[in-house]
Amino acid sequence: MKIIGWGLPALFGALGLIFPLSAAAEWQVNLGPGVTEISRAVYDLHMTIFWVCVAIGAVVFGVMLYSIVHHRKSRGAKAHNFHENTLVEIIWTVVPFVILVGMAVPATATLIKMYDQSEAELDIQVTGYQWKWRYQYLGEDIDFFSSLSTPREQISNDETKGEHYLLEVDNAMVIPAGKKVRLLLTANDVIHSWWVPDLAVKKDAIPGFINEAWTIAPEPGIYRGQCAELCGKDHGFMPIVVDVRSEEDFNQWLVEMKQAKAQASDAATKNWTLAELMAKGEEVYNRACAACHQPNGEGIPGAFPALKGSPMMVGDPAAHIDVVLNGKSGTAMQAFRDQLSAVELAAVITYERNAWGNTTGDLVSPAQINTLKQ
Amino acid sequence: MSDKPNLLQMFLSVLAACFGVQSSHNRERDFAAGHTWAWMLLGLVVMGLFVVFVIALVSWALSLAGA
Ligand code: HEC
Ligand SMILES: [Cu+2]
Repeated sequence: MKIIGWGLPALFGALGLIFPLSAAAEWQVNLGPGVTEISRAVYDLHMTIFWVCVAIGAVVFGVMLYSIVHHRKSRGAKAHNFHENTLVEIIWTVVPFVILVGMAVPATATLIKMYDQSEAELDIQVTGYQWKWRYQYLGEDIDFFSSLSTPREQISNDETKGEHYLLEVDNAMVIPAGKKVRLLLTANDVIHSWWVPDLAVKKDAIPGFINEAWTIAPEPGIYRGQCAELCGKDHGFMPIVVDVRSEEDFNQWLVEMKQAKAQASDAATKNWTLAELMAKGEEVYNRACAACHQPNGEGIPGAFPALKGSPMMVGDPAAHIDVVLNGKSGTAMQAFRDQLSAVELAAVITYERNAWGNTTGDLVSPAQINTLKQ
Repeated sequence: MSDKPNLLQMFLSVLAACFGVQSSHNRERDFAAGHTWAWMLLGLVVMGLFVVFVIALVSWALSLAGA
């Protein structure tokens, strides 16, 4: 009795220290309802089952506490000695059975809806890479990579962190509002998982498999997510941004993407100077290569080789170009042939041959890369 | 001889076995008399009924889902 006397206030006092009320208000502990019909159905199911569990918990612990308190006896008391109560046993077997079936029926209905891939109006192939996403709009000739755009200085705490820290990308996946979009998910290297909570889509992206998911986002807006399968060093640095636009804006975006593509192939035929390629190359390097080979070109010993002073960087350009275009199979070094444009490839290779004290003076031109890409 | 279970009692005993709940009075009665093969046959019949029940439940859930 004494222990209960001071124990409870002490317990709540300690909880108050650990979770001050003001902080609790800022926390979102529960699942969010999201923005799609499916995400709301998932949320409703979650809440229903949550309250069922709460009720079961209250009844079970209630009976237990009541029994402990009401049937407590002093030392030396003689216990009752009876064997069974068939009625009670049947009740506690039948009730969980009914509850389980009762939860399974609405859950099945929602799952079936989630798996209904029919009648999609737009198909997008989503491919996970270490550590970025690639979006290919099937039948639209649109194909781009989406990588983290949070500045390095924010990650290293040299600048204050922005509002969408680690949840922002250079190229978002753009989709039309109110249309059924089917996602075909796969991966290039290891297992990733494409997860956007507001759309209630979380699906593994597995090399050699195609998984399907779909969504209809009713309203234009920006929805953010992350890779949800531990996939290596930069797993926490490959976010997802879905940019839902009105149908009109979406069509406008399609046109712009196609124009940009035409401009990129014009840029490849222009004559680039060494200085221009170096400037462009540094930008490409920091975006696409520095995560592994490090901004100073020194790599991470034992994992990612140094490019600074590497014999390949100062030797025959052909071998260097080959590694960057085609990768090294079986290693983390990917083929950048499709990930980067001819200009970007030429620039980054030129940069590597002339940065950090590598002084070949070599200029690798976009035209040269284009002939190799054919 | 009055202690031998009749068909309905046997059926209920098989259901109880599926459920895992039986009173010791009934269990002693069942073990005292009857043929093994009769219990086995009844067991198979009840399993068949269970499969039909599960199929019906699933198709009902599917019809609710509109599939
Ligand atoms: C995911 C990590 C990763 C990224 C990103 C990456 N590399 Fe690599 N790279 C590697 C690894 C690992 C190797 C070593 C492969 C091996 O074992 O031969 C390598 C090797 C190389 C080599 C050969 C080095 C030598 O001396 O043999 C070059 C050149 C190279 N990378 C260039 C690039 C360029 C250019 C980029 C960006 C466009 C890039 N890498 C991005 C992981 C990466
Ligand atoms: Cu990943």
